[in-house]
Amino acid sequence: MARESGLQGWRWREASVLPGFGLTLGYTVLYLSLIVLLPIAALVVKATTAPLDAVLHTLAEPRVLAALRLSFGAALLAASINAVFGLVVAWVLTRYDFAGRRLLDALIDLPFALPTAVSGIALVTVFADDGMVGQWLAALGLKVAYTWVGVTVALTLIGIPFVVRTLQPAIMALDPAVEEAAISLGASRWHTFLRVILPAILPALLTGFTLAFARGVGEYGSVIFIAGNVPLHTEIMPLLIIIKLEQFDYTGAAILGFLMLALSFVMLLVINLLQAWQRRRLGLGA
Amino acid sequence: MSIRFEQVTKRYRGVPVVNDVTLEVAKGEFFVLLGASGSGKSTLLRGIAGLTDIDHGRIALHGRDVTFVNPRDRGVGFVFQHYALFRNMSIADNIEFALRIRGVPAARRRERRRELLRLVALEGMDERLPSQLSGGQQQRVAVARALAHEPGVLLLDEPFGALDAKIRTELRRTVREVQRRLGTTTILVTHDQEEAFSLADRIGVMHMGRLLETGQPQQLYRQPATRFVATFLGAANLLLGEVATPYRVRVGQAMINHASQARPDAVSSTEVVTVVRPEDIELARHRQVLANPCLGEGQVLETSFGGGVGRLLVQVGAGANLRAAARVDAQVHPGLAPGACLLEVTRTAAEAMAMPLAAGDSIALGVRRLHVLPTPVSSFLFRAPTREAVLELRQSPLVAQLVQSTRANLSETIVAEEQPGTATLRSAGLVVVDNTGRTPAEIASLVAHGARRLLCVPRGAALPRRVIIHCPDDAPQGEAMGLVASLVRHINAEATFVSVMRRDAVAAERTRVLRRLLDTRAEVRASHGLDLRTELLEGAVSEQLLALASGPDPALLVMGIDGDRAEIEAALVRDLGWLFDADARWPLLLSYSGPRPAALAAVL
Repeated sequence: MARESGLQGWRWREASVLPGFGLTLGYTVLYLSLIVLLPIAALVVKATTAPLDAVLHTLAEPRVLAALRLSFGAALLAASINAVFGLVVAWVLTRYDFAGRRLLDALIDLPFALPTAVSGIALVTVFADDGMVGQWLAALGLKVAYTWVGVTVALTLIGIPFVVRTLQPAIMALDPAVEEAAISLGASRWHTFLRVILPAILPALLTGFTLAFARGVGEYGSVIFIAGNVPLHTEIMPLLIIIKLEQFDYTGAAILGFLMLALSFVMLLVINLLQAWQRRRLGLGA
Repeated sequence: MSIRFEQVTKRYRGVPVVNDVTLEVAKGEFFVLLGASGSGKSTLLRGIAGLTDIDHGRIALHGRDVTFVNPRDRGVGFVFQHYALFRNMSIADNIEFALRIRGVPAARRRERRRELLRLVALEGMDERLPSQLSGGQQQRVAVARALAHEPGVLLLDEPFGALDAKIRTELRRTVREVQRRLGTTTILVTHDQEEAFSLADRIGVMHMGRLLETGQPQQLYRQPATRFVATFLGAANLLLGEVATPYRVRVGQAMINHASQARPDAVSSTEVVTVVRPEDIELARHRQVLANPCLGEGQVLETSFGGGVGRLLVQVGAGANLRAAARVDAQVHPGLAPGACLLEVTRTAAEAMAMPLAAGDSIALGVRRLHVLPTPVSSFLFRAPTREAVLELRQSPLVAQLVQSTRANLSETIVAEEQPGTATLRSAGLVVVDNTGRTPAEIASLVAHGARRLLCVPRGAALPRRVIIHCPDDAPQGEAMGLVASLVRHINAEATFVSVMRRDAVAAERTRVLRRLLDTRAEVRASHGLDLRTELLEGAVSEQLLALASGPDPALLVMGIDGDRAEIEAALVRDLGWLFDADARWPLLLSYSGPRPAALAAVL
């Protein structure tokens, strides 16, 4: 009692009727340490103990820079495409009821479940120059497979469920009366979407975007088949790391891994801050 | 007229949820639509704003037909039950939303916002977010937001429903004051009669998609026209009475002058429903001390304390000859003696102090004031040869619906078909018989023996979605319309009055038929407050009615008839012969207006 009042109301935790707080927190810490923190720590140690000139040398490699650009660029582009079209899909699936809605809804999860290699090979079959879609695109002078476009297509496929699944509950929670209010006040549909609907689902959209992006940066299996893996052109970072490993350049691999870790962390941090700011603006608490 | 509906109908899956509503709301009027949930009141309100399409009819705002106008161009302000504020915008941005869309310059916007915030007593809240305000404050913002663009019409959909009692009264006062000051024509939807009374210039009561009655609060409370309104607006005792003279009615042992404005001819039957408000019943220890006519003597069943008023339930035993017009669930009142009539009485605190009463006390009841309902259906009489047949009749969907929604008193007579039983037939409100395998002659006989209102239900008849009303050219139709008006209020069906014209009719006859059609509609609306559809058909009456009745939705046929037994039978055979076929499934409602005056018959 005395100790608590000394802390001016601050308490280690709120009293809860549900037992087991100590046990579950302990388990959480242990679990995170073993699965997440330890491997990352090993990576960080390996990379930061490397000699500085080795680090600089690795980072200055043209192959590394090209792969970096492709990995982050394609992931960003794919996540952006998903943000737009995933919103449309989520909207259709939550707002309307039509024949086959449940089937379509189940299809969304398929990229989660499918082995990534399978989706990669399937994409190649479809988009290769003699593939079902590829031949028509080739006739138009558009080459998808074995270019950066192919990489983006693969990452879009992988990312779509993240956007749709995070948006669905947000759209479901929208009160249709709010849209009706906007319309009765004279707003056009576009205006209603931009000023009323979008701000309300923006946090969820950002989360979905972030997840899709993060997944895209690290994606390996589905991309390597459609990318063609031409050095300087269609080589992605995860592949480059594998190549380094195969050449027994463990330090180089660790440096690249650490680089991706740092970049991803910064981007995720920025997006999370953006979201926190959004939530505060909406008055949902920090 | 500021707001005008003409026969507005909205259906969901074929069932009308708003059914032929016609209404005019004057400029600056505060109109309250009152009804239970599911009565169609919110749908109607959303129809005005264009948030729901309507299937039939017209809506005009300030003389402009807006039936097909985009909701954003209707110039209405709408307030929702759960505020529907834009959560990501400040209070200021919420209120300025409509002005920003209209390109109003910032300075004017700010000025208007300040003015509105002052009006709803929220000055200085401009920069807050909706989530930082209480529910009552949020609804104030919603009202201000809806008024920002100076709409000609303000619509409020259960605006106080989500607030607690104290805030509700406060906000009610604000809304009334804002409305008075701005003079904006307003429609508010609520299920709370107290709210309706305290806000409304005029109230419209909705039930099963129909606008039953409209009127000033006082008038609706004191002189309702329908059972539903009588019991929905405050408590009411519905008692069966017997018309003695046009202005006097016998209820129990009392003979009372009734205060109804209804014309005596509108109350044509001997049995009527009277409304006695709980506060209009006088209690005394002995009948000699009563200051008003005595209804009978009874026992106090239950007393409860309600602050300013004391509420009592009193039962009057079967011997007093007092009959309730509404059924009482015996399980709710276990102390109720069989055949006794249950009455609700309220007394002021002073009265209760002067004469304390406890359960079991004997008491005499007097009546200060009563009102006679002008609608004709007072009770149901089921007439069938066996008990099982009565039960089967009651289970027919149409009858079950009527019994359930009118809550009228039920009685049954079990008679062999040869005995007409004139006395019981004559006193009943509505006689219900099984129509399977009957002939027009049998029906005509029942009517001639006193069944003025007769519902004939064949086995297997579905719940009607349409009511087709037909009066042969020369039959007076006032009574039939009164009956239709009171019955269609208790079923979800669309009512159409049909006139059939001969194909070779000359111009003069066409004009006459058309005029009769329009007159009928106007008359029904004026004297029964019901809006009918009208339809003009050409050809043979029997064929045309059959074609109409054979439509996809099940129909109920209503026919107004007069004349003697032979004339009734002839009319049935001529116009509705097909209804007596073995496989016909249409219920028939007959309204009989008596024998034809000899002089008139001679002329015809």
